[in-house]
Amino acid sequence: MTDKKKILIVDDEQDILTYLSTLLEDNGYATALAKDGEEALKQVEAVGPDLITLDVSMPEKSGIKLYREVKANDRWKQIPVIIVTGVSGDFKKFISTRHQVPPPEGYLSKPIDAEEILALIKKLIASSEFIK
Amino acid sequence: MEQPYKHYFEVMPAYLTILDRELRIIEANRRFRRDFGDYEGRYCYEVNKHHSERCDHCPAERTFRDGQRHGIEEQFKNLSGQEVSLIVYTTPIRNEAGEITAVMKMATDITEIKLLQNQLRESRERYRQLFEEVPCYISIQDRDLQIIEANRRFREDFGDFLGRKCYQVYMHRSEECAPCAVKQTFQDGQVHQTEEVVTSKNGEQVDVLVYAAPIRDAGGQIKSVMEMGTNITQIRQLQSQLTDLGLVISSISHGIKGLLTGLDGGIYLVNSGMEKKNPDRLKQGWEMVTRNIGRIRSMVLDLLYYAKDRELEWALTPALAVAEEVCGIMRNKAQEQGVELQCEFEQTAGEFEADAKAVRSLLINLMENALDACRVDKKKSIHQIRIGVKGYPEYMEFEISDNGIGMDQETRERAFSLFFSSKRGNGTGLGLFISNKITQAHGGKIRLESELNQGTRVIVKLPRRRPVPKAP
Repeated sequence: MTDKKKILIVDDEQDILTYLSTLLEDNGYATALAKDGEEALKQVEAVGPDLITLDVSMPEKSGIKLYREVKANDRWKQIPVIIVTGVSGDFKKFISTRHQVPPPEGYLSKPIDAEEILALIKKLIASSEFIK
Repeated sequence: MEQPYKHYFEVMPAYLTILDRELRIIEANRRFRRDFGDYEGRYCYEVNKHHSERCDHCPAERTFRDGQRHGIEEQFKNLSGQEVSLIVYTTPIRNEAGEITAVMKMATDITEIKLLQNQLRESRERYRQLFEEVPCYISIQDRDLQIIEANRRFREDFGDFLGRKCYQVYMHRSEECAPCAVKQTFQDGQVHQTEEVVTSKNGEQVDVLVYAAPIRDAGGQIKSVMEMGTNITQIRQLQSQLTDLGLVISSISHGIKGLLTGLDGGIYLVNSGMEKKNPDRLKQGWEMVTRNIGRIRSMVLDLLYYAKDRELEWALTPALAVAEEVCGIMRNKAQEQGVELQCEFEQTAGEFEADAKAVRSLLINLMENALDACRVDKKKSIHQIRIGVKGYPEYMEFEISDNGIGMDQETRERAFSLFFSSKRGNGTGLGLFISNKITQAHGGKIRLESELNQGTRVIVKLPRRRPVPKAP
C-alpha cells in the first residue's frame, strides 16, 4: 500500500472528486481530496502528494493562488500539477498572471477524458521520479 | 430750376417728382419718365399706382401739412405693369416767403433688397425649423455653461432652460461635469465628443452621445458652443443585452462542461460498479447520473423561462398549498445536504390571485439558492433554511432565510441582474433574475437582505388581487 503514488484532487464539485478519486484508485493510485484552496494547502502539507490535479475556479482560495503558493514553496515546487478546468479563458488568465512561477506541468479541459488524464499522470509521475 | 441743379435732378439714380398741393406731378426726372411715362397734368397716385383716388397714408400730403420730411415704403406699378418696391421720401419746397409751394418726392427702388430680405427670412426660417425639428437635443451655451437657446426636443424632454446651467438641466446637480466637452471646445475651438447619462424632467435616464462644436462671430472669436446630444439608450441596451448573451453562453458552456464531467463520472461508477459487482459503487454512480440530469433539466427550464415571456395563468391560489408543495420538493434535497428545513406557515394566510406554477418555481429558485449558500459555507457546523408564509389584508408575504455564506455588497447589488452568478460554474445566473421577473409580473416586490458569512433573507410580497393591466 505504501508504494502507491499519492494524488491530491482539488475541485469544488463533489461529483468530480468522486469520479477522479474512483478512476485513479481503480488504476492503482492513492488519492486525497480537497474542495477548496485552503483545504488543499493543508492536504499538501499532511499528505505530501506525488501529483496534484487542480480546478481553477473555486471558492475561498482560487486554484491560481494555490498553484502560486505550491510553486513558491521549496518543499513542494517539484510536485507536478495538472490544471483541470471548464472555463476556456482560465488557462490564458493563469499564464498571464504567473510571475516568477513556472507554467503548470499539465493542462486538461473539462469534460475530462479518462484515458488522457491517466496517460498524463503516468507520464508526469515518471518524469518527476526520474528527476528525483 | 437753375441749370446745374436741373441736370442733377435729371440724372439722379432715383425717381424724382415735384408735386403741387393737388398732388399733381409738375416735374419728373428722366428715370421716372422712362419707367412711368407721361405725367403731365396727372395725379401722382394715377401715375405711380394706377389708382383713381388718393392713397390713405400719403407722405406728400403730410409734408404739405406739417412742413416735415416723411418717409414710407410703397409699391409702385410701372409702365409695363410690374410691381416695384420703393422707399419714398418727401421734402417741402418753399418760396421766398417760406410757404410750401410744392413737395419733392424721391423714390428709391429697393426691389432687389426686398427680394434678398425675403430670401434671408426664408433661409433663417428653414434653418430655424431644422434646429427645432432635428431628432436630437441641441443647446447653445455661453462660457458660463448657461443655456441660451435650445431646440424643441430638448425643451420637451428637459423643460425650462432659461437662465440655467447645462449640468443643472441635464444632470440635476450643482457641479460641472469633468471633463466637460463644451469647456474643451471653448478652450481649443475643436469639436469634442463624450458620452453621458442624463436625466430627463420626468426622471428618466437617457444615454446620450454628445458633440460640442464652436460657434464663431464674424471676427472668428468663439462666442458660444453648440452641444448636440443623440439619444443612444436603445443602442446601449442592445449592447448590454448582447454582452449578457455572451456571458450566458460562456456561463452555460462552463456549466455544461461541469455537468458532462459529472455525468462521465456517474457513468464510470455505474460501469465499473457492474464490472466489479459492487452495488454501493453502482448506486453512487446512478445517483450522480440522476443528480446531473436534474441539474441539466433545471438549467434548461431556467433558460426557457428567460427565452420566452410566458403568459401567466391566473387563478385564486391557496398560499399554504403552494408553500407546502415547495417544502415537500425541497425537504429531501435539504436532508441530503444535512440542512435543517423549518416551515413556518400562518394557517390563516388564505388565498391570493396568482399563477401557482410560476410562484412555485419562484420559491424553488429561492430555496435552491439558500441550499447552495449553506453548501458552500464551511464556517458553520449547523445550517438552517426557513420558509415562512404570512397573509396580510393587501398582500401575501413569503420569506426564505438561510444561515449560509451570505453576500457581500457587490454580490447583493448585482444579485437580480441577468446572468450574474456568484456560484461560479454551478449557477446559470438566471435564478434570481427569473424570481424577480415572476414577482414583477404579479405586481409584487422582492427584497434581499444579506451579510457575508451571516446569511441571507429574501422577502417576496405578492398582492392578493391581480394587478390591473396597463392600457396599451
